[in-house]
Amino acid sequence: MTRWGMVIDLDRCTGCAACEVACKSENNIATVPPHQAEMGRVMSWMRVLAHTVGDFPDTHLEFYPRPCMHCDNPPCIKVCPVRATYIDPEGIVGQIYPRCIGCRYCANACPFTVKYFNWYGPEWSDSERQHLNPDVSPRTKGVIEKCSFCHHRLQRAREQARAENRDVREEDYQPACAEICPTRAIVFGDLDNPTHHVAELKEDPRAMRIMEDLGTQPKVYYLRARR
Amino acid sequence: MRPTRREFLWAMGATAASVGLRWSSDLVWAPQVPDDLGWAPGTEQFVNSACLICPARCGIRGRVVDDRLVRLGGNPFHPMNAGGLCPRGIAGVQMLYHPDRIASPLRRVGERGADSWEEIGWDEALGQLGERLQSLRATGRPEALALMAGYCAGSMHDLWRQFLRSYGSPHYVAEDYDDGTSAVMELMHGIARRPGFDLERAGFVLSFGSPLFESWWSPLQAFAAFAGPDGSDDGRTRFVQIDTRFSRTAAHANDWVGVRPGTFGVLALGIAYVLIRDELYDAGFVERHVSGFEDYTDREGERRQGYRSLVMRNYRTEEVSALTGVPVARITALARAFAQAEHSVAVFGHEVTHAPSGLLSGLAVHSLNVLMGNVGREGGVLFGNDPPLDPLPDPRIDAVARAGLERGSLARTPAPFGGGDPASRFAAAVGDSPSETIDTLLLYYANPLASSPRPDAWREALERIPFVVSFSPFLDETTAHADLILPDLLAFERWQDAPTPVSYPYPVWGVARPLVAPPPGGKHAGDAMLAVARQLGGSVAASLPYDNVELLLKARARGLFRARRGMTLGDAFELEHHRQMEERGWWLPEHTEFEAFWDELVQRGGWTDLFLDETDPARLARTPSGRVDLTPAPLLATLAAAGRGGALYMDVAETSAATTDEFPLRLLPYRVSTLSSGTVALERWLAETPGLFPEVHWDPWIEVAPATAEAQKLGDDTMVWVVAASGRYRARLKVFPGTAPENVCAPYGLRHPDGELANPLQLLDGSSDALTALPNWSTTFVRLEPA
Repeated sequence: MTRWGMVIDLDRCTGCAACEVACKSENNIATVPPHQAEMGRVMSWMRVLAHTVGDFPDTHLEFYPRPCMHCDNPPCIKVCPVRATYIDPEGIVGQIYPRCIGCRYCANACPFTVKYFNWYGPEWSDSERQHLNPDVSPRTKGVIEKCSFCHHRLQRAREQARAENRDVREEDYQPACAEICPTRAIVFGDLDNPTHHVAELKEDPRAMRIMEDLGTQPKVYYLRARR
Repeated sequence: MRPTRREFLWAMGATAASVGLRWSSDLVWAPQVPDDLGWAPGTEQFVNSACLICPARCGIRGRVVDDRLVRLGGNPFHPMNAGGLCPRGIAGVQMLYHPDRIASPLRRVGERGADSWEEIGWDEALGQLGERLQSLRATGRPEALALMAGYCAGSMHDLWRQFLRSYGSPHYVAEDYDDGTSAVMELMHGIARRPGFDLERAGFVLSFGSPLFESWWSPLQAFAAFAGPDGSDDGRTRFVQIDTRFSRTAAHANDWVGVRPGTFGVLALGIAYVLIRDELYDAGFVERHVSGFEDYTDREGERRQGYRSLVMRNYRTEEVSALTGVPVARITALARAFAQAEHSVAVFGHEVTHAPSGLLSGLAVHSLNVLMGNVGREGGVLFGNDPPLDPLPDPRIDAVARAGLERGSLARTPAPFGGGDPASRFAAAVGDSPSETIDTLLLYYANPLASSPRPDAWREALERIPFVVSFSPFLDETTAHADLILPDLLAFERWQDAPTPVSYPYPVWGVARPLVAPPPGGKHAGDAMLAVARQLGGSVAASLPYDNVELLLKARARGLFRARRGMTLGDAFELEHHRQMEERGWWLPEHTEFEAFWDELVQRGGWTDLFLDETDPARLARTPSGRVDLTPAPLLATLAAAGRGGALYMDVAETSAATTDEFPLRLLPYRVSTLSSGTVALERWLAETPGLFPEVHWDPWIEVAPATAEAQKLGDDTMVWVVAASGRYRARLKVFPGTAPENVCAPYGLRHPDGELANPLQLLDGSSDALTALPNWSTTFVRLEPA
């Protein structure tokens, strides 16, 4: 059975944030005005979280590029009163925007804080509408949105594979963050398929998951930095 | 039992209804499909081009749906960025569709800077500019035309030069990030060219403050080297960052070393001390190819100390440690790691040279590369080739133009080994000249009122220039003071060549072509100037015989077609195959016709040649002796004349004024990866992700050590004034343990959401390195006040 997952090598990450911006571009994520940003309402499905430790010059950085963990045992779906958030058979935790009633239970249940609430409707000028991705629906005011592992790309890959009468290959389906990463720190694929790179990497001695003790079984693995 | 009449009729009716429904089901239930849905799924295309946003000039691949650009990614054929792209490039779509862009020419009505404009047509606008230029030449004052240009290496640079020369103006004022490294190379190697760093093939990269992962010449070049060739961990380059602050590069490099500002050169010589003491340097290379290492007798017969004596006598690790703040064990370990790696390279740039002894510090850092013999060979410092383009025709210079050129530039070269900050010098010279000495100023990707360290000088200069023309597609600070705006097309709408920066040692000639159609009423600045040249006629028109920039590029590419080397961009296998063939002396033509070659070149995004002949001695040194010179005679003579003694590699530490009670903190400006460069409106995606601080959005910030913030009683996230002797600006204070307690680190090029500038460069004390005239960036002291 396919289980889509991700491995992020912290040894390769340069914190350039290309993944963040590529995600915003791919998924039509709305920007919020500066005073809203100050209230912590910036939406960023992929976010490079960083924390600096130690005084100059013995300083080092603890950091994680953090997408949705797409947990196998996701706490967010258990609290949703309308089943707007769900886990699909291939392990992708999705969000059905028209069904969401904006109660924000899931945003509070998520230990990784990856669910974002649309406090206002997105604002795009006429010119900015031009760069919206036609494959992804924009969200309205009052719904939760989250990383979908670029699910629309999986749908296209599936259609293409079906038309060619074959299985979906690793390179057919890559989310925007993994595709753009200049140092190939983000690797994506089927965790259960031994021919996929992620299946091998997740067994690496450096591999770990964040807040693993909560038992949510995240499908995003990190390879600890060696340095 | 017989059915009743009622039951019989009901059964008959039900049967008829079901039969009827079945037969008519298609008709009844099929949805009505209108012929025209009002939308269509769209046709998707992927088009290769080149990014023109920063000097790196990466290859890009745009996803175009119908006529809209919806995504930018890297061009996998491009050897430098190999499919990756930085956030600024990705956010390019937001620049392209920015709501504030200007699409058609504007003429000022009313007072300058009052922001009142009228739209005019291109014919009228170019007519006005052409007449003005015509009349300047008619009155014999072609030198009264000046151009202020931002970074535009390639054919646009050549086009402007050609225009100004044939017109007769010596005033090409460049704001092109001069970092003094070419002066270092000219002195030591006799090659006046910025060094290329072959990071990808190096085993160990020692960066002296260069922001490799943030805002270097090409962050993608550094990323590719950091990632390694094939995604495996074997043979990955190791990066060590030496820095005055905990930068993003320091945070993500394999290791980092914090030093005191202005001591990069001292640390380099401390490393050299260990290399020599422990005999770790490449003695064979030094003996064969280097002069000035041992003591020597100069042409006047005077005995002089060589590099070895100077270093061994003056840079013992204990002394270096005391000056730089780096422990002795760290210095020794750095030297050993540098020596033990197969190919190690010391990278440096403006962080080293923008200091009181910047040129000498640059020499000191580069001497490490020379000691290890990592020059002119794989994985070291390389002097690359320029792509073999056909040159523009020789400019025709008539009598008027000759007279103008002979009158020379207003701004004289101020220093023996560099031009310093030519833009500020030009502004000052205009300010000192009678009004209208410069009649017409053209601004091309330059916004000096925002980016210059001396905006006041520019404000005064602009007042003395009667006619200012800006080609900016955005109404930036300087453009707001223009008389005429001829908005250029945006990147992704225009033809332009995109040669990679010199830091990438292999020549790549990227070609940017339009990914989307320009808006109605838009015009390429290059096309506009070609039209003006035609209007001027005579020698100017004859010097620029091209209908448009696309044809100019195509004409120049004939040189590549004839060069019998290199190839159009291709995948990694093709590139490597071609390189190995050339290494063995082979080259196979892929095209017999130029048209087919050009089509493929455009379709793949450019041309490259990854083979460099390392056996060519001219790659190493073009000095009279043919050796790399550690003690260049012209520099020694200049220093002696200035009374600074006859020895190099002394006094490389900064000896400027120290802190005072009034200004207790040292200001360290730096450039962030999302820099707006002062010429482009900041994209919103970038404003949301500016730096190492996940919680800072939109606002410019400064970084202050926890102890300092506490002592000054300033809390995290408060707005403060950064006050220097020459002025002040507002920023948000971030308590950051990666800053030394005596420093304030300040990103430049950012703005507040309301447009207010926050430029720490404007606080600089105005001092400079006497040898290169490059401004000092770490000698200004400030204090903080709550705002």
